[in-house]
Amino acid sequence: MKAFHMSWKQILLALAGFGVVIGALIVAGAVPAEALQTVVQKALTTPAGWRDILRETTPLLLLGCSVFLALKAGLFNIGADGQFVVGAMASVAIALHNFGPLTIPLAIVVGTLAGGLWALPVGLIKAYRGGHEVITTIMLNNIAFFLSVFLVKGVLKDPESQSPTTAYIAEAAKLPNLVQNGPFRLNIALLFAIAVALALWWYLKRTVGGYELNATGANSKAAKFAGIQIEKVIVRSMTTSGAIAGLAGALQVLAYENRFYSGFSPGYGFDALGVALLAGGSPLALLGSGLLFGIIGKSTTVLSLTGVPKGLSFILLGILVIVFASFRYRKEPSHD
Amino acid sequence: MTGITKLFGTVEALRDVDLTVQSGHIHAIVGENGAGKTTLMKVLYGAHQASDGQINLNGEPVSFRDSKEAIAAGIGMVSQHYSIIPELTCLQNLVLGAEPGPVISYAAAESRANELAKQMGFQFNWHEEASEISPSQGQKLEILKLLWRNAKILILDEPTAMLAPDDADLLYAKLHELTEQGATVLVVTHRLPEVMEHCDEVTVLRGGKLIDSCPVAQTNPAELAEKMVGQAVTEHSPIPCNPGETLLTVRNLVVKGDKGNDAVKEASFELKSGELVGIAGVDGNGQRELFYALMGTRNSSGEIHLGIQNLTNTSTAERIQSGIRLIAEDRHNEAVIEDWSIADNAILGLQRTNRVLAGRSINRNTQAELAKNVTEIFPTKFDNVNQKFRDLSGGNQQKVVAARSLQESPQVVLAFQPTRGIDLYVAGLVYDGLIKATREGATVLVVSFDLDELMTYCDRILVMNHGEIAEVPAELRQDRSAIGRMMVGAE
Repeated sequence: MKAFHMSWKQILLALAGFGVVIGALIVAGAVPAEALQTVVQKALTTPAGWRDILRETTPLLLLGCSVFLALKAGLFNIGADGQFVVGAMASVAIALHNFGPLTIPLAIVVGTLAGGLWALPVGLIKAYRGGHEVITTIMLNNIAFFLSVFLVKGVLKDPESQSPTTAYIAEAAKLPNLVQNGPFRLNIALLFAIAVALALWWYLKRTVGGYELNATGANSKAAKFAGIQIEKVIVRSMTTSGAIAGLAGALQVLAYENRFYSGFSPGYGFDALGVALLAGGSPLALLGSGLLFGIIGKSTTVLSLTGVPKGLSFILLGILVIVFASFRYRKEPSHD
Repeated sequence: MTGITKLFGTVEALRDVDLTVQSGHIHAIVGENGAGKTTLMKVLYGAHQASDGQINLNGEPVSFRDSKEAIAAGIGMVSQHYSIIPELTCLQNLVLGAEPGPVISYAAAESRANELAKQMGFQFNWHEEASEISPSQGQKLEILKLLWRNAKILILDEPTAMLAPDDADLLYAKLHELTEQGATVLVVTHRLPEVMEHCDEVTVLRGGKLIDSCPVAQTNPAELAEKMVGQAVTEHSPIPCNPGETLLTVRNLVVKGDKGNDAVKEASFELKSGELVGIAGVDGNGQRELFYALMGTRNSSGEIHLGIQNLTNTSTAERIQSGIRLIAEDRHNEAVIEDWSIADNAILGLQRTNRVLAGRSINRNTQAELAKNVTEIFPTKFDNVNQKFRDLSGGNQQKVVAARSLQESPQVVLAFQPTRGIDLYVAGLVYDGLIKATREGATVLVVSFDLDELMTYCDRILVMNHGEIAEVPAELRQDRSAIGRMMVGAE
């Protein structure tokens, strides 16, 4: 498989990227050193800071896995955000009712299935009709978003609330914290996410199914001649990718948000594209890139209190992703 | 050209090569793959910059920064891979990149196009889409493109690779007419009979160095072959063939082509254990579609049996399980994944065969063993099996692909131009490997566009013409022109 190594050019580009950020900080009226100090003091060295970082990391890591899996099969899943929303919505619809001890498992399973089903037509259209997944997933994102608005203003709306939101789920339907120490909290949801990343690594690197998925993504024609049923691989990977995004949505409801509301996703599905791209070739690197995006997310929140606009983090992420994408997807000459 | 040296990174593709071409001559450049023929030509017409050396044109020193400057000076090249854009019409392709002005008058262009075509004795429907024309028409269109640009020196890279013997003769006749009118033609080729028959001078390159340059009249094929290879070429001595039971039976096979036509028409044939069977024919006569259908990557009607097993409606995976192997035509796109390592490519296609699959995982020991085999059967230059496949040279890539088809007890090996891009010596080894597999009980079906190659190695020869398959009678198997006539349906 593709080894991941950076050349001095990439390092230089990354440094140039950070230079731009520092420049932007100065323009925004902040002193870079002070800004860094704020981040360290308020985010990186406090229990509350880490609570938020890990909370932020959970959906980013899972959605990163979702995008990564599709990417390995040669599919650009722009629709993780929509699948995330649909998963969350389906999950909350279950979790608002009491199924006894089955409530949590049922809510997770239904959320996961909903995400998978939301992605299924994308896979089918791609595999059997050649419709491009970027177009179909973007359209399904819009449908998911407006459908969720429609539902939280209608049947799912909490009658006691003024704003478009569901009611909070019952205490028994919430995923427990694994560690709770003062302001620090580590929810079991993060373990789910790490487990998914590890399972993904095992599947892609160790199983024949993963081998065939990689082959389909790397060269679908050669895969076909190697006896791989690429249509099935495409449908299966797209559906699984959606299911992981749906799981992320379910966990977001059950572990952190405890309800669903209009504008539920701040764009995690799109940040996940960066998480997956930054991870390069290895699924294990998702753990690192997911955490990095979590840290950047929290740092932005902290910085915004000192007057640095939140948009700055998006500039930073954008630059990072562009730098990596331009190196990872550059064309290499072939021999003959 | 004097003292031309070309470095790619640290690799020396050409070293101190001199080449003098008389105007009005057809000058052949011969050499094995990787000898630097194409590189030398690309330096001449500006696609590559020489690292060192000097080019003189009509006594004047010149240096071209790109092929645009070369064509302006009258030097043009038709490369092995055509640059025709299928979606455009023939006329649009002809003027592409050399439009007379910002607004194209197609009427004026067509009248000049007709004039050029008439001069060469070609016929074109200029408003036909280029996707509709045959490979040989494409070749002709490429030559007209050079004439359209007023090229006086024409460089042709393997111009007869896709032509039937008679068409090749015709092409050379026209080239002679051109040279009589003052043009100069450089032909890159590895077909020595062609050189002897049609060219005036010949230059031999080997390993990026000039070996010899002389008038064709002063040499002979054996001498040229020896200079190309660097050692005396031993003739292939046929191994007696004792065909066993029938392995592959194909009945009334019909396969649709890309344009919805019947690319293979009611083809029926049998392959027996112990024999190497060749399919002769001009490129584009259904060979590709036949192989797709046999591999199960394209729908077909008719019947395919392997022994007593009916493969007609089985998947590609099931056929591989049953022992069918493919050396695919298009190595980059169909045979391998170039970004992967040699080891990962070594099991591509074999990933679900008995010894490779362990439960749901891949048996790493078997994979290591196969990686070793595919690089050792034919002498392959590589660093280690975890090296990216892309980093192997074209010839070495082909050796690995050929070797892989002989792994895990093949029953039927379908080989599409198995020696493409490899030198004569290794080509012999590959055929020996295929023949050895047949003598151990398999059967091999080879498609090649090089009739001499098929006549040398095959136990039987089938001919494919417009999708129809016919067998060359035993008494005609060594009759080159008779087979040539069958290839174009003249008999």
